[in-house]
Amino acid sequence: MIRLLPLLLCAVLLASAADAPKTFPFSFTQEDLPNGLRLVTIPTDSPNLVSVFIVVQAGSRNEVEAGKTGFAHLFEHMMFRGTDKYPPEKYNEILKRAGAASNAFTASDVTVFHTTFSKEDLPTILAMEADRFENLKYSLEAFKTETGAVLGEYNKNSANPGQKLEEVLADTAFDRHTYKHTTMGFLKDVQDMPSQYDYSIKFFDRYYRPEYTTIILTGDVDAKQARTLVDKSFGNWPRGSYHADIPVEPKQQGPREAHVDWPSPTLPLLTIAYKGPAYTDTAKDTAALDAFSTLVFGQNSELYQKLVVREQKLDSLSANSPSSVDPDLFTIRARLKHVEDLPAMREEILSAVKRFQDELVPADKLEAVKKRERYGFTLRLDNSESVAQTVAEYVALRRTPDTIDKLYVQYGQLTPEDLREMARKYLIESGRTIVSLTGAAPAGAAK
Amino acid sequence: MRWLLLALTLSLCAFAQTRASQMRIVALPGNSPVVTLRLVFTTGAARDPDDKPGLARLTAEMLAGGGSKDLTHNQIVEALFPMAASVGSQVDMEMTTFSGATHVDNLEAYYKIFLAMLLDPGWREDDFKRLKDSAINSLRVGMRGNNDEELGKEVLLSELYHGTPYGHYSVGSVTALQKITIDDLKQFYKQHYTQSNLILGIAGGYSPAFLDRIKKDFGALPANDSAPALAIRPRAIEHTHALIVEKNTRSVAYSLGFPIDVKRGDPDYPALLVMQSYFGQHRESGGRLFQRIREIRGINYGDYDYIEYFPRGGNLLEPPPNVARGSQAFQIWIRPAEPPQAAFTLRLGVYELNKLVKDGIPQEDFDRTKEFLSKFVNVLTKTKRAELAYAIDSLYYGIPNYNSYVKDALAKLTRDQVNTAIRKHLRADRLQIVAVTDHAVDLKRQIVGAGPSTIEYNSPKPAEILAEDKIVGAFDIGVRPEDIEIVPVEKVFE
Repeated sequence: MIRLLPLLLCAVLLASAADAPKTFPFSFTQEDLPNGLRLVTIPTDSPNLVSVFIVVQAGSRNEVEAGKTGFAHLFEHMMFRGTDKYPPEKYNEILKRAGAASNAFTASDVTVFHTTFSKEDLPTILAMEADRFENLKYSLEAFKTETGAVLGEYNKNSANPGQKLEEVLADTAFDRHTYKHTTMGFLKDVQDMPSQYDYSIKFFDRYYRPEYTTIILTGDVDAKQARTLVDKSFGNWPRGSYHADIPVEPKQQGPREAHVDWPSPTLPLLTIAYKGPAYTDTAKDTAALDAFSTLVFGQNSELYQKLVVREQKLDSLSANSPSSVDPDLFTIRARLKHVEDLPAMREEILSAVKRFQDELVPADKLEAVKKRERYGFTLRLDNSESVAQTVAEYVALRRTPDTIDKLYVQYGQLTPEDLREMARKYLIESGRTIVSLTGAAPAGAAK
Repeated sequence: MRWLLLALTLSLCAFAQTRASQMRIVALPGNSPVVTLRLVFTTGAARDPDDKPGLARLTAEMLAGGGSKDLTHNQIVEALFPMAASVGSQVDMEMTTFSGATHVDNLEAYYKIFLAMLLDPGWREDDFKRLKDSAINSLRVGMRGNNDEELGKEVLLSELYHGTPYGHYSVGSVTALQKITIDDLKQFYKQHYTQSNLILGIAGGYSPAFLDRIKKDFGALPANDSAPALAIRPRAIEHTHALIVEKNTRSVAYSLGFPIDVKRGDPDYPALLVMQSYFGQHRESGGRLFQRIREIRGINYGDYDYIEYFPRGGNLLEPPPNVARGSQAFQIWIRPAEPPQAAFTLRLGVYELNKLVKDGIPQEDFDRTKEFLSKFVNVLTKTKRAELAYAIDSLYYGIPNYNSYVKDALAKLTRDQVNTAIRKHLRADRLQIVAVTDHAVDLKRQIVGAGPSTIEYNSPKPAEILAEDKIVGAFDIGVRPEDIEIVPVEKVFE
């Protein structure tokens, strides 16, 4: 349910350019089947456990038709509605017998199905997964019932004002591109889902195809055995032919603003976003903006220390740099303690952006960020599931773990001048969108 | 098999206690480049003074989120930043946990800071104000404002344990937090952060000398906590009681349950673990509640049950360790339902519970669930961090390594034992129910009003479901009008 894949750039390892450009510490095998399916096998030190992540490169970005927002996510749900061979009861029974932890998630660029279990069950699980990707079959009744669960998911998220703010931000910042809606979709579309059975069949036919799909296997696995199993189970899955025509977002011509009045008491939220680049591992843009987000808005930044720690006007402050297939938002998020501080906090954040368009970030601070990324990476990849999860985030973008090392090269070469240049290029007024949210009285802040 | 043997070997050396200091050590050495530290003090919110709920938690947050005597909070953040490291805290009723991980390259520098934060806290006024504000905002906004489901769960537990040391939410209440002073924190720290309360956990690529050094360093803590042993005796529930929290929200979230006399290590724990998994394994689709409420009827996003405390269930796929408790409650979590279906949904949940108590678990499901759990425990301890945390809980509960404890018990467990335990410990009457909704009066009317609850579907349903719906709609959950209380959200945790 996320636009910005979390911790994406935590996986970037830094060292000087002279070091061997290997960031990703595991050896892996990457193979393409004749039908276009890709298999990435990564043995890791996880005795007896295996994680299977099946990544479909279709998410809410692919919801190109009007009135169909939230469909990729609904489809994630439908994938658990069974086939002739494995009806849902049987599917659940097999997962249970395997002691599997199984779930799925949808984001703007991707839908991921993941299962972690004991290695002896690998053949069974792969056969069952292949069957649902090829032969999913559900009735109109089952479809309508599942739309109720999706509405239930919308409902459980809807108590959170942050969710509403994200909806309004995307809707305000984008005109044509499908990043205009969140992965959850607009409520009116979610409520209309029960009448979209035929479209759901079309969605499956378009995107649940081998050329959109990558299987990531991590843990106690052997690449050769994995290939044999995947050939056997997924080899006959027919290739599709659909190419989504994702609308191109026109250049934003001036600053935009929106405000949300939240009906309950809550702390004021302020979000300042800029149109950023698409993910790239061949230029410095992605890496530089990521470093910028940490240096200027992270926990040890001057601004954070001033507004959160010393003056204590903000309850939280963070920034996310874009890492999406298409150009996406660089977003700064703040939660305030007092509504009357909104104009001043807005000014503080805008001044920080402006300042680093003129000044250079200190070189030693940039080096500390590079170091942090390297250690953060090691600390994160401590089990087969987190390795697969990390790789899945990159597969969503470039369909290969190779992009990790390429991005690393860009990161390693960053200079303070690069950060300033990217701030000047992207963090500009004409590409800016500001959304604020305030709650009903009584104000919820601690006095 | 290789894994299991390894775990057993580790656990044998892990539980050797250092008697002299009374501090207990759980050590899981390995070759990993990462060293994980996990210090658990067996004290927590159950030790909050009656008029100061939240004190234990704020004390721990002051250590983990404030400065030390020599370093300001800012200097600590600055120093830990390049290491991508941090010090986290977690406080529950009987456990207070400080945890962190670092690459072995940085162990020396990291440990120096970790040690200073825990043994020489700075107690600065500006840190205190920031963390206190944050605690108050987490009550007002994080819970009451943004998270109907977690709110419902914590209100349920506060109700179940009313009048006992567990009878408040660990974050405390707004008015109590406003009154708490730094001196209160210092006092709590002095009394409860002792060697006798400490379980010192470490895992990964550290040296034996390093372990000796930590033991020596934390030997500087006072030896004993003078607090008497905890006695948690929840009051008996005479009639099913419903508390409706009223707030502006789209849908209706439920939590319900009652205390049980079973905890990890007790003879009936494995039987109830099987029951829990069969009836509603957390965030898995195979549970009975999930199947009947979500899968067949499409009412909500999911429905689960618990025999142990499980905070932050909306975000976590697996239970957080180190929230061990001497008293546990059986809980059902019904995720938000649309208001027109809310009364029916509640009846369906209690109807299924009643069926479980009456009929028990079918043989096929028993076999399947046993198989699931004996493998799933490996998933629970898939990281070194989790293995360490589970080992600490096992020490607390006085059981062997959790994986082998569960596997061995399951191997011997029979369906009869499970069904006997279900009948002995579970019931579908004398429940505490908590609902969070915008339409409290309406919900009350629907629960106790004349006439059955109904449900409408957007697609045809099989005849047996429609027939069951009639039974469910008329199912008496035994709530009398005088047993329903409505409370505005502003009063909760205030």
